[in-house]
Amino acid sequence: MRVALADDSGLFRASLALLLEASGAEVTAAVPGGAELLAAIRPSPPDAVILDIRMPPTFTDEGIRTAGELHRQHPATGILVLSTYAETRYASQLLDRVPRGVGYLLKDNVTDADALMDALSRVAAGEIAIDQSIVARLLSRNRTPGLVSVLNDREQAVLSQMAEGRSNLGIAQQLYLSPRTVEAHVTSIFAKLRLEATDTDNNRVRAVLAFLRSASPAG
Amino acid sequence: MGAVPVPVPGLAPPSGPAPPSGPASPRGAARRLWSFLRLSGPHPGVLIAVILLVSGAVCALLQGPLWGPHPLLAAVNVATTETFIFTGLILHRDRRTRAVAWALIIAGALRSVDFTDPLGGPWPFYTLVFGGMDRLAGAYALLRYPEPRLTRPQRAFLITLGAWMVIGRTLATVISTPRWDGYPASSWWIYLYQDRQLAQIITDIVNAGQGVLGLTLIVLLILRLVRTRGLDRLVITPIIVAGLAAVAAASGTAIAQMLSSISETPNDAYIIEGIVDLALPLAFGVAVLQSALLLRSIPGLTAQVSVGADVDAVRYALRTTLRDPTLEVLDLTEAGQPAPAPAAGPAPLPPAGRALLPPAGEPPAARDPGPPAASREGPALDVAGAVPPDRLVELIRTESGTPIAVVIADPGLDRYRGLFNAAVQTSGLALKNAQLQARAAQAELGQIRATTARLVEAGLAERRRLERDLHDGAQQHLLALAAQLTAAMTRTTDPAAAEAFRQARDGLTGILAELRDLAHGIHPAVLTEGGLAAALEEVAERLPLPVLVTAPATRAASSAAEATGYFVACEALTNVVKHAWASQATVDIRMPDGALEVEISDDGIGGAGASGRGMANMRDRARALDGELTVDSPPGQGTTITVRLPCG
Repeated sequence: MRVALADDSGLFRASLALLLEASGAEVTAAVPGGAELLAAIRPSPPDAVILDIRMPPTFTDEGIRTAGELHRQHPATGILVLSTYAETRYASQLLDRVPRGVGYLLKDNVTDADALMDALSRVAAGEIAIDQSIVARLLSRNRTPGLVSVLNDREQAVLSQMAEGRSNLGIAQQLYLSPRTVEAHVTSIFAKLRLEATDTDNNRVRAVLAFLRSASPAG
Repeated sequence: MGAVPVPVPGLAPPSGPAPPSGPASPRGAARRLWSFLRLSGPHPGVLIAVILLVSGAVCALLQGPLWGPHPLLAAVNVATTETFIFTGLILHRDRRTRAVAWALIIAGALRSVDFTDPLGGPWPFYTLVFGGMDRLAGAYALLRYPEPRLTRPQRAFLITLGAWMVIGRTLATVISTPRWDGYPASSWWIYLYQDRQLAQIITDIVNAGQGVLGLTLIVLLILRLVRTRGLDRLVITPIIVAGLAAVAAASGTAIAQMLSSISETPNDAYIIEGIVDLALPLAFGVAVLQSALLLRSIPGLTAQVSVGADVDAVRYALRTTLRDPTLEVLDLTEAGQPAPAPAAGPAPLPPAGRALLPPAGEPPAARDPGPPAASREGPALDVAGAVPPDRLVELIRTESGTPIAVVIADPGLDRYRGLFNAAVQTSGLALKNAQLQARAAQAELGQIRATTARLVEAGLAERRRLERDLHDGAQQHLLALAAQLTAAMTRTTDPAAAEAFRQARDGLTGILAELRDLAHGIHPAVLTEGGLAAALEEVAERLPLPVLVTAPATRAASSAAEATGYFVACEALTNVVKHAWASQATVDIRMPDGALEVEISDDGIGGAGASGRGMANMRDRARALDGELTVDSPPGQGTTITVRLPCG
C-alpha cells in the first residue's frame, strides 16, 4: 500500500514512516504541512494519506481543511486524520467534508501497528474508520433525546460497529449475530434515520454521521 | 441672612479697627460717639464700666439711711441692681435680645428705689405704690427670652399683673395716711379720704391677688420649660429655675408682709429675696454664655462625622449636636435623582441656598419648588415633599454648586444661626470628603479590576502556551519513540526482543495518556479551538448522567470569560455528580448584552450552601473578571448556579 503523511513534528513523521515501512507499506511522501502534502502527492496520488489534525499555520483544524481539499482533488485516496484528543466534534466535521474513504484515529493508537494498518486499508477501500475510543464514549454516554434515540439497543450496537468501519459480516461476527439479522438491523436503522435503502455505502456514512452529531450539537 | 453671633464680652470679635487718634471730622466723631453709646464700638467695656460705676454710685446713694441700720440689705440691693444692669447691657448688644435687655435694666433701676422710703418726701408714697414693680420687668424678661414675641396669655398675664399692682396699691394708699403706714405725717401724700379698715382690706386683697398671680407665673414658667425643646431648653433652663426661685422668694416676702405690718416687715425676708433675685440676672448671663459655648460642640461633631460620613451618620450627628430629633438630612446624590437646576422653577431658592419655607396656608403648588420638591421623583422625595412649612432648610453643595444633600430642621434653630451654620458646614465638608473618597476608591477599584483582568488574561495565555508546548514537544517526541518501538517490534524476529519492545511501548503509551490528561487539565485545547460550548460538550460526554448543553451559535468575545465560564461549569458539574443525587443536568450558555452567562442546573436534592471552598473558588474566579455568581438551591428543588461575566 502506498501511503503519504503530513505532520509538523519531524521526529514523529520519521518514526511513523519507519513504522509504516516496517509494517509493509510504502511511504511516498513525508511532509510537515497540508499544503506540502497536496503538492507532494499531485503527480502520483497514494492509496491513503495520514494527516495530523493540528498543523501549522493555525494549529487548530488544519488537517480537516486539508482533508476536504484532498478529497476534492483525489476522491479515490483514503484519508486518515490523527488527533491528540478524542473529539466527536472534529470527527463529525470531518465526515461532513469527506463522506467516504475517511478515518479519524487517536494519535496514541498509531503505535498499534495492526490497528493503524487496518484503518489505512479501510479508508483506502472507501470505508470509514472512527477510533474505537470515540465510539465507546458516545455509547457509554447517557444520551439526551436526539436522532439516534429512535433506535433500540440492538440497532445502536450495530450502528456503533458501522462507525468503526465494519462490514455487515464483520458486525455479525462481532455481535454473534447472523449476517441476515445484521442486514435487517441495518435496513431498519436506515429507515428510522430516513435514509434511502438504495445507496448503501453513502447511507452507512450518513448513519454514522447522525450517530456522531447526536452527541455534539455544537459541532 | 447672615448669622448674628451671640455676643459675649471678650469672645466677641472687635467690629472694626480702633479709630485713628488725632483730628477727625465732627461727623466722624459723632458716628464714633453713637457707636460707642450703642455699645457696638471698639471699646464697649469702657462704657459698660462707666454706666455700672455711675449707676452703682446712684444706687448706693439712694439706699441712704438704710446703710446705718441694715447695711447687708443695702449692699444686696446695690449688688442686685448692678447685676441686672450689667446683664441687661450685655444682652443689649444682640438686637434680638434687646427688649429683654431693657427689661433687665429697668428692673435693676426700679430695684434701686424699692427701699428709698426712709428718705422721706415723696419716697414713702412712691414705694407703697410702685415698690416691687421691678418684679413686673423681671417677669417680662423671664417669659420673653429668647422668643421674638410674647404669647397672648403671657401678655395678658403681664398686663393683669401690672394693673393689679398699680391700681390696687394706689387705691389702698390714697385712702390711707402716712402715719398708718409708719411714716412721718410730713411725708408727701395724695389723699382721697381716710378709711383705715378699708385700706387694710384692700391691701389684703391686693396681696392675695399678687399671690395668685405669682402662682400663675410659676405655672407659665413651668409650661414654657415643658414646651420648649432642643437647644432652647438647654439655654432657658437656668433662667426658668432662677425665675421660679425669685417668684418663690417674692411670695415668701409677701407672706411675711401679710403676717406683719408694713413697717415691721422682717428685713431678713427682703435680704433673702434680694439674694435670690441676684440669681435671675446671673441666670441670663449663664444663658448668654451657654449660647456662645454651644459652638464648642462643633469639634465633637467634626470628630463624629470625620470618618466614613454618610447621610445617616451626618443626620445622627446633627440631631445630637443641634438637639433637634426632628432634623432630617436627605441625600440628593442618589442615582437617577436629577439634580435640580438652580434657576429652574417659578420660585428658585435664594443663591445662598437656604430659606425658611413659607408658612402653611399657601397652596402647596405655590410652595418652594427648590431641591426637595424638584427631587420629587427620587426616593428621598416623598419625605421632602412632606416637609411641613416653616421648617428651616439648608442645602449642602459641592464647590461646583451641585447640591448633594439638604438639611431640614426645626425653625427654632434659626436663633442659633452661628451654631447651625457651623454644624451644617462641618457636615457638608464631611459629606463632600466622603464623596471624594468614594470617587477615589472607585477609581482605585477600577484599576484593580483592570489589573486583575490583565493577570487573568496573562495566566490564560501562559496555560495555553504550556499546553501547546506539551502537545508539540513532549507528546510528539514520546509518540515518535512509541512508533519506533513498534517498528522495531515488527521487524525483529526474536520473540523475546519483540516482547521487550512491546512492554516498552505499552509503558510509553501509559505515559502519553498521563501527559495528555495533564495538558488537558492545564488548558483544554478544545476550549481554544472549539469554544465554550464544544469544551463543555466534551465534559458532558464523560459524565455519568445526561447533561444537555445549549448555546448560541456565536462564541463569547472574551477568551478569559470563556475560560472562567468553563471552570465554573466544570466545578458545578463536579458538584452535581458528587453531591446532588440528580438524574439530569443542563448547561445553558447565553450571551446577553455582550456578557457571557452560564447557568448550570440540576434536578437533585438542592440545599447547596453558598459557602464552601468550591463555591468560594467559583466566586473568586468570577470576581476576578468583575463578574458575579449566584447560587439558588432550595432544599429538594435542585440547584441552579449562574455565573455572569462581562466581556469587555
